[in-house]
Amino acid sequence: MADIEQNSAPVRNPVTAHPPVRQMTAVQRFFLSNEFGLIVLIVLFTIIFASISPMFLSNFSLYAMGRTAAVNIMIGFSMMVVIVTGGLNLGVGAIGVCGAMFGGWLMQAAGLHWLPACFGALIVGALLGATNGVMIVKSGLHSFIITLATMSVMFGAMIFLTQAESFREISPAFSTLGRMKILAVLSPMLLTAIVIGVLLWLAFKFTTVGREILAAGANARAAELSGIRVGRMITYAHALSGVLAVVAGLMLVSRTGAAIPSMAGQLGQDWLLPAFLGPVLGGNLLTGGRISVLGTFLGAFLVTMLTTGLLLMQVGAFWVQTYLGLLLLIAVLLDLARRSYLARNKLV
Amino acid sequence: MTKRPVLKATTAAILLGVLSTQASADSTTRVALVPGGPHPYFAAWEQAGKDAARDFGLAAADYRVPQKWELSMQNQILESLVTQGYNAFLVFPGDPVGTVAIANELAGTGAPVLALAGCLQDPSEAKFCMGTDTGNSAYLGAKELLEVLGPGAKIAHFTGFLVDPNTQLRIDAVARAAEEAGAEVIQVIADIDAPEPAEEKINAYLAAHAGDVDGIITTAWVPAVVAANALRRIGDKRIKMVGIDHDEVVMNAIRDGYVHGTMLQNPYGQGYIGSFVADRLRSGCEVKADAPFKSIALTDKFIDSGTVFAGIDAVDNYVASMQAITAELMEGFEDTYLTCS
Repeated sequence: MADIEQNSAPVRNPVTAHPPVRQMTAVQRFFLSNEFGLIVLIVLFTIIFASISPMFLSNFSLYAMGRTAAVNIMIGFSMMVVIVTGGLNLGVGAIGVCGAMFGGWLMQAAGLHWLPACFGALIVGALLGATNGVMIVKSGLHSFIITLATMSVMFGAMIFLTQAESFREISPAFSTLGRMKILAVLSPMLLTAIVIGVLLWLAFKFTTVGREILAAGANARAAELSGIRVGRMITYAHALSGVLAVVAGLMLVSRTGAAIPSMAGQLGQDWLLPAFLGPVLGGNLLTGGRISVLGTFLGAFLVTMLTTGLLLMQVGAFWVQTYLGLLLLIAVLLDLARRSYLARNKLV
Repeated sequence: MTKRPVLKATTAAILLGVLSTQASADSTTRVALVPGGPHPYFAAWEQAGKDAARDFGLAAADYRVPQKWELSMQNQILESLVTQGYNAFLVFPGDPVGTVAIANELAGTGAPVLALAGCLQDPSEAKFCMGTDTGNSAYLGAKELLEVLGPGAKIAHFTGFLVDPNTQLRIDAVARAAEEAGAEVIQVIADIDAPEPAEEKINAYLAAHAGDVDGIITTAWVPAVVAANALRRIGDKRIKMVGIDHDEVVMNAIRDGYVHGTMLQNPYGQGYIGSFVADRLRSGCEVKADAPFKSIALTDKFIDSGTVFAGIDAVDNYVASMQAITAELMEGFEDTYLTCS
């Protein structure tokens, strides 16, 4: 699941003014990729944390970490599919909570089985996301502004409709999924995140819509001229983002056995940092056009691992967010240095 | 210091000292005291844990605060504490239902789990819940206030978050006390247990209606602090107020005559006794099936951690008052609630 990039074919025209790009093998490219860097960091931190506390690799710790990572990965995916269009979705948390609360309502008040209830929640996520997309396309405003505004509207409406009350009569079968252990260490939530990751990779690699979303993100005008309906692609991306955010919300509902309005903090803001950390650490371009599903997966996993490790080292909980913010900053700077190195050595 | 608090403090210290000698030495129990998020109410847990670790020979009894009031943050800290080797958990539930899952998982590792200061919705694996009987505390506080004001008084009630099930109990209790005393609750302002809304709503209310009220009762920490400050600013000692908890702002306002008194809760006792019980449970004791628990809305296994009024005569000795409540509760706790072989 390496990077999928639009218009990334090497330039071969002999009359070009640019110097020729050195050809690299797939292995060389992988060693210079974000994904490889993240794998190295994950291995390195595993060794460090395990040497500090052998309990770090205990079954309970690995299971708990995997389950937390699954939610962070889904939040990261939700932002990633919008970032590839060159946009942002600040309402990831708000949409996730709205959908999850609707799912909770369907299970408790409407008495639906958890499967149709989850399906209904995903539909709500898609509709809310698509609403964002349509407003961005029709208004021509940056997604930052639109999603900032709709984040408040959606969250406020949810609080008004639910009176800030939790839905606590969640289907026991659904709650069991959040506590189930496979082979004592693996959470079904992590497996779900892996399956969704593979589906996303397949979608962006092999489907027309996926490639067109990437093209729209790489160069909207060029994409428009080549017949791609850019506005529609942006709407699709936001709808997909909404669905993925609701998956994260439903994971939390399954984990706690309750749909709680504050599950993503006030206005869903608590999801913003993990939403950006995974995709940015994973090497997705903030300007759009390039997606790395594996990178986002590994980035979100690294963040979860660092949080767990820092808590394990008894670094004050108040400092964890600070360290994560610093990590985001360092990741961006390292990526800048990496690209600069590649360009200097004519590797891209 | 008057004679009564001295006596109380001495008795409490002796009693706690005697009880502490009954504890097992060099225990392997590592207790984690985990609130739902940062709040001054829980600060006493830190000292309670340290004292319990010293008095009962625990390996540790540490206070670990989630960075913010977020259930997933609390869950992650609790999971991390298991990895760090903690084997007993005293938890304020971030959500009465949402915390049940993690509490059951913690219990699944063999660690005793107690709900402190707030309860989990039954059924859960928590051994019991120990906290303030909030309705009773509000009722007693209102009675203290109305005793000073007399019949026909008009009072305002400032209280906590509406999503907290305790808030409605407090509102009902104050209304009942007022009805019994022939007084009237002319205003209830809720959802203000945070500085910003408390400042905004209390100051606005007093600016417009200070002349209409004879007394104020507050049943949450932040409104008590904000109302005490507001009364000091107004400078009118005509309005009598009974607050809650032991913030220095409230205690100083009592000393200076701006506040009549405060209803002390017992977070110290919750942490101290909770740590002791957790160790006993790990040593083979079990909670008696027929223990005289109270029933409240969330659980049938509730223990009241106590409440007491502190007026001008007790304001300088409130720590002794809290220790006295703890000693009273601690005395006979094991015989009443536990079966130890």
